[in-house]
Amino acid sequence: MSKVVMKIEKMTKIYHLGKVKVEALRGVSFAVNEGEFVSIMGPSGSGKSTLMHIIGCLDYASGGEYLLADQDVSNLSDNQLALFRSKKIGFVFQQFNLLPRATNLRNVELPLIYAGIPARERKKIALQALQDVGLGERVSHRPNEISGGQKQRVAIARALVNHPSIILADEPTGNLDSKTGLDIMDIIQKLHEEGNTIILVTHEPEVARYAKRIIHLKDGLIDKDEVVA
Amino acid sequence: MILQGLKIALESLWANKMRTFLSMLGIIIGVGAVIAIVSVGTGSTQQVTSRIADLGSNMITIYSKTVRGQASTVSGGSSQENFTLEMADYMEMFSPSVKKVIPIKQVSGTLISDDINVSATVIGTIDEYAQVNNYGVAQGVFLSQDDDRERRQVIVLGSQLAEDLFDNENPIGKGVKINYNGRIFVFTVIGVMKEKGGSMAGSLDEQAYIPLSVAMDRMTAHNYVNSYLAQSYSSEKASNAAKELENFMIKALDDPDKENFKIISQDEILGTVSSVTNTMSLMLGGIAAISLLVGGIGIMNIMLVSVTERTREIGIRKALGAKNKNILFQFLMESLSLSSVGGMIGVGLGWLIAYFLSNFADWPLIIPVISVVLAFGFALFIGVFFGLYPAMKAARMNPVDALRYE
Ligand SMILES: Nc1ncnc2c1ncn2[C@@H]1O[C@H](COP(=O)(O)OP(=O)(O)OP(=O)(O)O)[C@@H](O)[C@H]1O
Ligand SMILES: [Mg+2]
Repeated sequence: MSKVVMKIEKMTKIYHLGKVKVEALRGVSFAVNEGEFVSIMGPSGSGKSTLMHIIGCLDYASGGEYLLADQDVSNLSDNQLALFRSKKIGFVFQQFNLLPRATNLRNVELPLIYAGIPARERKKIALQALQDVGLGERVSHRPNEISGGQKQRVAIARALVNHPSIILADEPTGNLDSKTGLDIMDIIQKLHEEGNTIILVTHEPEVARYAKRIIHLKDGLIDKDEVVA
Repeated sequence: MILQGLKIALESLWANKMRTFLSMLGIIIGVGAVIAIVSVGTGSTQQVTSRIADLGSNMITIYSKTVRGQASTVSGGSSQENFTLEMADYMEMFSPSVKKVIPIKQVSGTLISDDINVSATVIGTIDEYAQVNNYGVAQGVFLSQDDDRERRQVIVLGSQLAEDLFDNENPIGKGVKINYNGRIFVFTVIGVMKEKGGSMAGSLDEQAYIPLSVAMDRMTAHNYVNSYLAQSYSSEKASNAAKELENFMIKALDDPDKENFKIISQDEILGTVSSVTNTMSLMLGGIAAISLLVGGIGIMNIMLVSVTERTREIGIRKALGAKNKNILFQFLMESLSLSSVGGMIGVGLGWLIAYFLSNFADWPLIIPVISVVLAFGFALFIGVFFGLYPAMKAARMNPVDALRYE
């Protein structure tokens, strides 16, 4: 029996825009096991990103419970959340979100800096991570000197360096052409095979199909939670 | 973590060299100005002080306070008329600390040589004037006792005056006319004084000297002088001498309220000068401090812009595990680096300005350590103070909003 890595229970998120209340999540519950690869699909505005932000400890839920790596994350301070982001979460974004003025190596080092890893070790880990995604030759380039696919590889290397409990990828292929997108998906597939837990948000069915399980979100609620062959 | 913050801060400052420099400019100018101004203040004060000391700290001047118009009032003679030659002798006699009293009759007018006119202060005095003032001739001779006794119309020119009247020609033996109240007197130049420079009364180099008897009997027909120059036996005795002279004058003029005369010693002038220059330095230093403050506001401005510009960077850093205080330190270190590097450049700049000014104006280059410490310390303080608000703003950003920022 696999171990549960994260579990959310009746999660809600309400945004207040002046007098208007936007219910982005209206009671979402599911659990993800260690080593699982889950895709989340749903129409625009269904709350996918909102859900990812809360799972990634970037934002507070309005209600419900959240367990991450056996710990209750629902009522933590900013500081404690930062610690969880540092140790347990690896993010891959649609917009890559690399620091434009820093080299690839420096970008990959960033999570290690905030995790308090000493400089020499940091460099070694970051170099290895860049090699693992096939960018060993591009360590001192800056983000604007490499292609979109390469940027996303740097971002994946960066997400991996702290050995997170979950890798969260919010439309990682959204800004890439389909060929490059599939290359990136191959890397993510490989990560999954190596035993990483992955939650991926996507619009594209062929991307979602890499996962064994697809959760369909609609209007802030789970519409369908299916296991695919 | 502070070190980490510093490193990240320096990286980002280095990546934005132009903006970094511009935001430091206020601090550079402020610190530079403080250092230069304080240095100029102390340097010039020292120069003036030593010049006044050169004039002799054992000199005391006794002026008649009477205004020209009041001098000839009918009622029992005016006090100015009491400033006679005999009075000088009595002063010497009744003031044991006073070595010598020199009468001075001022007859300012226009000096004319060939076709050049120069208006100047002409001082009628006696031969000992030069020696008492420790002020000698560069060319020719100074006035002699014979010149005075025989009322010779001879003149000794200040160095600047000689140059103005005769260019580079040798003026000795040449004729100079003085137009005094519409009457022309012809003099022969017998000497040119050494260069002496400024005094409280203006440049001595632009004055001329003629025998006292000529000034009194021939030109003005007054039997009184304008002032006396008294020399005490030593500078230690100067204040005693001033006291004695005052007592004497009070009795001699029957003037207990000192309404008709004024006694000024060099010591007093020294005090006035240094208090004036101190006030000046203080005021200019204040202006410089304000420019430092403005520099600090400039840093805050740039830091606020920088925080807004880098909202996304802040979001990314937070998503990767940066705590609020990591971000706080990063931005605080940035503003602190700005102000400290700016402060250092400012110290260098201030030193350079002070160096050139002191060379140019020929006063000693003095940069008080306290001004460097204060200016630099104030710059650091400003860096922290004005950096704190932008840094806190950055640290408190919500990571999701920051990430979504375009
Ligand atoms: N900061 C916010 N303030 C107000 N409303 C928000 C905010 N963020 C999200 N929302 C709203 O919450 C709902 C869910 O947004 P979310 O970004 O999670 O959608 P999504 O499923 O990721 O959409 P997309 O596929 O377009 O990325 C939307 O209606 C959106 O307008
Ligand atoms: Mg989204």
